[in-house]
Amino acid sequence: AGTTGARHHARLLLLIPFPNCLYLPQAWLDTQDRCLGHYVNGKWLKPEHRNSVPCQDPITGENLASCLQAQAEDVAAAVEAARTAFKSWSAHPGVVRAQHLVRLAKVIQKHQRLLWTLESLVTGRAVREVRDGDVQLAQQLLHYHAIQASTQEEALAGWEPMGVIGLILPPTFSFLEMMWRICPALAVGCTVVALVPPASPTPLLLAQLSGELGPFPGILNVISGPASLVPVLASQPGIQKVAFCGALEEGRALRRTLAGECAELGLALGTESLLLLTDTADVDSAVEGVVDAAWSDRGPGGLRLLIQESVWDEAMRRLQERMGRLRSGRGLDGAVDMGARGAAACDLVQRFVREAQSQGAQVFQAGDVPSEHPFYPPTLVSNLPPASPCARAEVPWPVVVASPFRTAKEALALANGTPRGGSASVWSERLGQALELGYGLQVGTVWINAHGLRDPSVPTGGCKESGCSWHGGPDGLYEYLRPSGTPARLSCLSKNLNYDTFGLAVPSTLPAGPEIGPSPAPPYGLFVGGRFQAPGARSSRPIQDSSGNLHGYVAEGGAKDIRGAVEAAHQAFPGWAGQSPGARAALLWALAAALERRKSTLASRLERQGVELKAAEAEVELSARRLRAWGARAQAQGHTLQVKDLWARGRAGQVGWGGAQTRGCEMSQAWGPAATPGRGLHFNMRFAWDIQTLSWAKPYFFLSFLETESRSVAQAGVQWRDLGSLQAPPPRFMPFSCPRLPTNFLFFLFFFIFSRDGISPC
Amino acid sequence: MSAHNRGTELDLSWISKIQVNHPAVLRRAEQIQARRTVKKEWQAAWLLKAVTFIDLTTLSGDDTSSNIQRLCYKAKYPIREDLLKALNMYDKGITTAAVCVYPARVCDTVKALKAAGCNIPVASVATGFPAGQTHLKTRLEEIRLAVEDGATEIDVVINRSLVLTGQWEALYDEIRQFRKACGEAHLKTILATGELGSLTNVYKASMIAMMAGSDFIKTSTGKETVNATFPVAIVMLRAIRDFFWKTGNKIGFKPAGGIRSAKDSLAWLSLVKEELGDEWLKPELFRIGASTLLSDIERQIYHHVTGRYAAYHDLPMS
Repeated sequence: AGTTGARHHARLLLLIPFPNCLYLPQAWLDTQDRCLGHYVNGKWLKPEHRNSVPCQDPITGENLASCLQAQAEDVAAAVEAARTAFKSWSAHPGVVRAQHLVRLAKVIQKHQRLLWTLESLVTGRAVREVRDGDVQLAQQLLHYHAIQASTQEEALAGWEPMGVIGLILPPTFSFLEMMWRICPALAVGCTVVALVPPASPTPLLLAQLSGELGPFPGILNVISGPASLVPVLASQPGIQKVAFCGALEEGRALRRTLAGECAELGLALGTESLLLLTDTADVDSAVEGVVDAAWSDRGPGGLRLLIQESVWDEAMRRLQERMGRLRSGRGLDGAVDMGARGAAACDLVQRFVREAQSQGAQVFQAGDVPSEHPFYPPTLVSNLPPASPCARAEVPWPVVVASPFRTAKEALALANGTPRGGSASVWSERLGQALELGYGLQVGTVWINAHGLRDPSVPTGGCKESGCSWHGGPDGLYEYLRPSGTPARLSCLSKNLNYDTFGLAVPSTLPAGPEIGPSPAPPYGLFVGGRFQAPGARSSRPIQDSSGNLHGYVAEGGAKDIRGAVEAAHQAFPGWAGQSPGARAALLWALAAALERRKSTLASRLERQGVELKAAEAEVELSARRLRAWGARAQAQGHTLQVKDLWARGRAGQVGWGGAQTRGCEMSQAWGPAATPGRGLHFNMRFAWDIQTLSWAKPYFFLSFLETESRSVAQAGVQWRDLGSLQAPPPRFMPFSCPRLPTNFLFFLFFFIFSRDGISPC
Repeated sequence: MSAHNRGTELDLSWISKIQVNHPAVLRRAEQIQARRTVKKEWQAAWLLKAVTFIDLTTLSGDDTSSNIQRLCYKAKYPIREDLLKALNMYDKGITTAAVCVYPARVCDTVKALKAAGCNIPVASVATGFPAGQTHLKTRLEEIRLAVEDGATEIDVVINRSLVLTGQWEALYDEIRQFRKACGEAHLKTILATGELGSLTNVYKASMIAMMAGSDFIKTSTGKETVNATFPVAIVMLRAIRDFFWKTGNKIGFKPAGGIRSAKDSLAWLSLVKEELGDEWLKPELFRIGASTLLSDIERQIYHHVTGRYAAYHDLPMS
């Protein structure tokens, strides 16, 4: 038995590439005569006299089609189409939008082969991941958001769609990134103009599929063009929000460009992920987690891997063994683990690995990988000195940088000691340890004993430098909603303000006459860290009442004062977060009561600023109501735990809860309901908690914002009058709207009242 | 056949720290079926390879010498001659890996195989198959009798109660005695994973069985409600790899029960290839216990050769 032919053996031991049929994508490109324009208002737009960029197969370099580059007027046409479409789309009841989304899901289902072959062909990603992952999830996303849309009138009463959303996608992305953003936007009634980099046909195909559905052609418009069009798109009248995902530097540049412009900005930056492997983990499964994260074309970027010292050798051995079995090749080959992502990605990783080696790292590469240029083998980097530049830099695909840790505390210090905070997974079979690490990680999404699971109903996002926007779940919807009646956003750039020196130059204010303000005058100074203090510049600014009379002098703050205030907030954070949800709720309610006691004083003060008495009273009342609502939320979230199919047929269970407030609560308490399924809760849990909450509850986000984008501080100062839009907050309200919320004002107000009442903050 | 696994001393530290995360293993099991697609002639080659791994099995109450004879003939000529000729594999001696029967049918099987003129090994189940709930003494005697009758491979079932109550030393001792009773015959230990309760138990039982000297570990009897599944197989294969890393001994793996389609068999091959590597893809280290699988493989090969699907009457029955 078993004496089989040599040829037979030879064949068995090799996995032979089996290219999926190229016919479909080619045929689709042929329908466009191999020349892709833009898809606007349900029609292909192919303006003349435009530059074109070739769309190439990232592996062979073969020219697939040429793509026209948009110019400003094309962008304007797309935005105009979206504005027109917005009027009817947002006016329809949610049920109609839901039906449309479901129809789009069905169209995607019908043309999924075209979609996945095209996507795999142009991005070079493994077709298996696109076919079994992305395309399926895209349909789930549409269905999920269709359901959300159908209940919008009840569930999201008091909220309205923002308007036209500008979506900006980076050169390398999966079309799923687009789906995560357009689904909620379309569901709530917004319309979308997507600016995709040239040579990315999948979004165009999606727009075509959507446009051909009939009654609402203009809801999704896709134009392809260079990054220089971003400011053009963002400054188009009617664009209410710009959603961006991509590289950190581009995001920063975008933030700089958009500071003070009317469009709101949602950022999702960076691609790196983190995996924490403890000594109580199922190491083999954790190794699979590493493969999922970095070497399976699922995650977009590289991975930082932290391994507990006691299992370091074992984990590294298994990892290296597993790497040997990975297979790389043309994305359309049905038997590869990873494809190639083009020359740029390859150059980037080559540079990174070379530098890491020169900085003393050990590099291990393995796998069945073609030796031609755009392919790069799975790479494991270890022994990288912690202080070396490579250890600080973002890890590119497909590299895993492994480093050891000794204790859970050290693991958290290492994991949090990076400016990035995208996603992470914790591998441990001990529930307590897993939760401790999960709570301690400063990242947007944490998976436990799994990596890279996505579900439409669980919000994911990032924190720190990884951005501030959320998608999926209810949070994803609020990204594209605003309280009903909010006036449209206007540009608030002040022409006569020098932003380069704002807050830095010493102001020169002369006495402007006698004050007619109330007596006794409010204490002069800035309220920081629980007490009044003189501003750094030691000077004042006169403020006038509505009739132009000098009302009084307030302290003239500067950049240094802001820094001091942020630092104080930073220091206060652990204490505040450590409070039980009940205590925090009580404090907020006490604050609301204090506010109400001073209703008449506050209202009259607002009145002197030119607000009508009724409006002023309403504003104070709304403030108090909002405080109460948040207080209730703080308390409620202490006990809310969303448990999603914990043991369901091979799928990982997910636990999601929102609100940073829960972080402060007793873990056992939060875990109560989930702990009931039985002892030994060693299954995957995915938490997605979001960091978005009132800025004063999580001051460090404000801080990171300041650090990354000092220009917007000015914006924060200028925009505080948004207070008029106070409403009962949604669960987990708007991420990063903090700079726009009346931060400084609230700080002042809260602590002012606290101190008067003798309540010590924190 | 390779030399026997001599086994090692019982070392409970090999199993005390093990962690198996159920959902993570389930996910891996799901992935593995989609990650390696083989088509066309490569698929045909994989299928032929799969044939050589089959322990062609009949374990029914109504087995008699006549259907055993038919089975043995099928084991010798698993694929229709003209199909093999078309694939240019006629002279490569493709047979199934073994024939697997109840102890009482071993004599018939040996005779029938002799008549067919081949030396395919005869495997016999033993030790109170499938429940294992008989006295140790009779179980050992069963092994000895089967070996006497000419079985060269013995598929024993373990005593599940020892696993469920955590009596690892007792389990080790029992399998040790089975090993001794087998003599020169190969010992395949059936863990009956469908009745072990958890994947952690599957890992521990696998490790104990290998330490006690099993040449193969086998997923199930085919008589439990849950038989060979990918998650269980992943855990067993990882145990085999750990044992190999610790001792240098390569232990074989045999999934059995519920493997009916050619597509399934391909997934099993790629699973072993992925988790253990090519060196395990030979009949000495990998078997598939199946009865109806062979006819489906034959049909697929028929389709590959002719471009048409065969009716069941087009192919000889087993």
